[in-house]
Amino acid sequence: MKNLPELKKSFVAAAEVVGAQVVDCKGLKQAVDYLVERVDGSLLCPTFVSGEKNGLADKLKKAGLKVVTEDFRNQAASAQAGITGVNFAMADTGTLALESTAEDIRLATTLPEVHFALLDPAKIYADSLEAVEPLRQLHQRDPRNYIAYITGPSRTADIERVLTIGVHGPKELHILLVPKLSNDPLEM
Amino acid sequence: MNKQRSKDYRQRIDKALATPKLQDALHKFGDAFLVARGNAFAKYDFEAMRDEISQMKTSVRENHAELLQQFTQNAEAAGATVYLAKTAEDANNYIAELAKKKGAKLAVKSKSMASEETHLNIALEKAGTKALETDLGEWIIQLAGQRPSHMVMPAIHMFKEEVAELFSKETGKTEQAEIAHLVEVARNQLRQGYLDAEIGITGANIAVAETGGIALVTNEGNARLASTLPKTHVALVGIEKLVPTLEDATKVVRVLPKNATGQPLTSYVTWIRGAVPCDGEEKDLHIVLLDNGRSTLAESPQCQDALNCIRCGACANVCPVYQTVGGHVFGHIYIGAIGIILTAFFHGLENAAEIVRACIGCRSCVAICPSKIDLEEIILSLRETIGEEEGIGAGKDIVFRKVMRNRKLFHGLIRAASVMQKPVTRGESSIRHLPLFFSSLTEWRTLPAVAEKPLRDVILQQEQEVKKPRYRVALFGGCANDFLYPELGLDLVTVMNALDVEVFYPQEQNCCGVPALYSGDKETAIELAKQNIDAMLEGNPDFVLTTCPTCTMALQRDFVEHLKDNPAWAAKAERLAEITVDAAGFVVNQLGAADQFKQLAASEKVTYHDSCHLKRGAGVWKEPRQLIETAGHDLVEMDHADRCCGFGGSYSLTSHPEISKRILGDKLQDIAESGASCVAMDCPGCMMQIRGGLEKQDSKVRAQHTIELLAEALRQKK
Ligand code: SF4
Ligand code: SF4
Repeated sequence: MKNLPELKKSFVAAAEVVGAQVVDCKGLKQAVDYLVERVDGSLLCPTFVSGEKNGLADKLKKAGLKVVTEDFRNQAASAQAGITGVNFAMADTGTLALESTAEDIRLATTLPEVHFALLDPAKIYADSLEAVEPLRQLHQRDPRNYIAYITGPSRTADIERVLTIGVHGPKELHILLVPKLSNDPLEM
Repeated sequence: MNKQRSKDYRQRIDKALATPKLQDALHKFGDAFLVARGNAFAKYDFEAMRDEISQMKTSVRENHAELLQQFTQNAEAAGATVYLAKTAEDANNYIAELAKKKGAKLAVKSKSMASEETHLNIALEKAGTKALETDLGEWIIQLAGQRPSHMVMPAIHMFKEEVAELFSKETGKTEQAEIAHLVEVARNQLRQGYLDAEIGITGANIAVAETGGIALVTNEGNARLASTLPKTHVALVGIEKLVPTLEDATKVVRVLPKNATGQPLTSYVTWIRGAVPCDGEEKDLHIVLLDNGRSTLAESPQCQDALNCIRCGACANVCPVYQTVGGHVFGHIYIGAIGIILTAFFHGLENAAEIVRACIGCRSCVAICPSKIDLEEIILSLRETIGEEEGIGAGKDIVFRKVMRNRKLFHGLIRAASVMQKPVTRGESSIRHLPLFFSSLTEWRTLPAVAEKPLRDVILQQEQEVKKPRYRVALFGGCANDFLYPELGLDLVTVMNALDVEVFYPQEQNCCGVPALYSGDKETAIELAKQNIDAMLEGNPDFVLTTCPTCTMALQRDFVEHLKDNPAWAAKAERLAEITVDAAGFVVNQLGAADQFKQLAASEKVTYHDSCHLKRGAGVWKEPRQLIETAGHDLVEMDHADRCCGFGGSYSLTSHPEISKRILGDKLQDIAESGASCVAMDCPGCMMQIRGGLEKQDSKVRAQHTIELLAEALRQKK
């Protein structure tokens, strides 16, 4: 059996090293509250299974957020943030895996300055080699794929090798650990 | 040799050397890189990981046709169009045609070395499509109208003030030379490009046969945008990027960022298979597989390992030559050690002819390569090819062919030199200008005089009282020990005798052949290998000892390599390789005798310089340190102890003295900062360089061979 507390601990440590902010949430409610405190522009909320199941978009709307659920191509450029689920994660590098074949997932995680990712800590694998299994299953399930491994916010060191956060992608990555969201790595 | 080409090359070197800021930046990067990399690999077994990658990549090379077919089938089944481009021109034409068909005015590009290789931007421009680089470094380079000077960090040679100037021109405002601000400017300036472009062009770090997908390993997020927003995605991928399975791909991904920049992982790894959704339609995905010389490279037995490269760029990061002159000198499109090799195959031998000689042979690149490529050996073999094609220079040709192969003539001439230099030396052990074999390049280091009597003569007069010899060993002196530092050979006899080992000096031994080999004259090297094998095996020694690690590598590695297909010689070469060992290693490992020197020495603060070929060739670095410490010295480590001293034989004397001088300067600084009064080493070449540099600076620090320190300790005991 996986040692979940251990995996979670090393995941959190590794993700924080690369500049992600990791928040332990008791439930979705706490995650929504966290967003409310941080988002005042529009929030892209694409369709994904665990979000649908838990009525995420509605909850966010009820909490007073300006939630965008369609027409991302036109909305994304001006949106402040995007929120998605996570298929699985890797502890050793603090990495998230997002099955992003649906274009809205990609737009929500590339264009806005902030990305909120909801991760069920039951889906943390030890490392990328162990995670080849779900990676392969995703390839077997879908005929076409766009799968993103995301480790911290976008970064560059191209000018004088000075690490600078947020060049083309999100400047902030918030990982919200929400238990009992979905323990299936094939499901976001 | 092409005169104009050489002249241009010399000018590039001078220009680079006149930019101390660049050297400073590259040195700092080299240091920071090693620290970050060490942390990134802390929990991992790098040696095991690189064994795996090297085996996997080798098997890919051997099964290339099948894997290529598998990849193509799977990619096409997922809706991609796959095109195999034979040449750079072929790839460019295909992409330019496509752009025309799409009526594309703008293509956004994420970083792709393959597109630099083919000069794709120029081809697109001709077809009426503007190519916009979106990787920050590439964009800077594009605005400056330059080419990348590093494969991973294209603009590493530029400074924020220059970037601010370029960006100001672009925005029409004065942009502050402040890095965070400049990054923000790039973000804003490039954003619209993704939305406007009809085509997104990326490279790929990996192509996975199992899935028909590609993987992109990036930090900035621009490749994600370039592969998402435009309706058409073109991925230009070298055919060597193929791997069989997702596990193999993962193993590459795991190592690549750690070895490239010391990052545990890049911000993004993007796995793309097939025509994914795009604005309510299907993406038009074209995968252009680029051959352009790779198949030819695969067929070259000496060079084919270079195809195992995963383009981490580390071979440049650690290279003392790269750190001194940068990628615009030490490279063409691809830079550093791997750049030399790829240039020869992708851009023609002509473009590699100068840089192939710029490598000093220190093997730092070999030690750091995650694909375990013996880059230095490949570079040597290319030097040979170029030597055959272009000649190695008339002067050298005569020395090697007519003189060195004839031992009596060669040694006779050196003896004559000893006499001729007399009036100049006035009895000093070092002189400013040496006739005959050494150039007059002594402004920055003194050069030793040729000894009055070589080791081969004086050793015969040395009495050896060994009652019950444990071993009888033959000493392979090498030219420097023999003719410049005979006292070193005598010290070796003293040390060995104290350990009950008898030493003899085969008189027929000749130069180890490395100078000829490094100059591209393999024929002479082979002839010398044969002479030496016969000379050293005669008398049936238990071991053959060396005091020069470059000779050690010749006897252990090169002779075997030269003669492996020669039935009359192969076994003899193997035998000599087996019994050859460097002196310090012999004392510690074969004799287990380090303790016999315990606390004999009058303690001194000693720092140790690792000779390239001893540490990275023979794998010996602990042993001399153990001996020095056991003898009672206070051993202090200098920074960069295993960085090359810049000697490299004719490298420092004739071919690249300016670069050699800078590398020596770095070493002398590290020695001074260590606070030691003695720097020890195990190579007469390093002694010549470091001692000469110290003398020139009037430094009080002495440079000694470890064996000399041991003999000294024995004398101090008495
Ligand atoms: S052997 Fe040394 S000098 Fe030559 S390319 Fe490798 S690191 Fe550079
Ligand atoms: S040759 Fe080795 S070290 Fe150099 S870029 Fe390729 S993989 Fe990296």
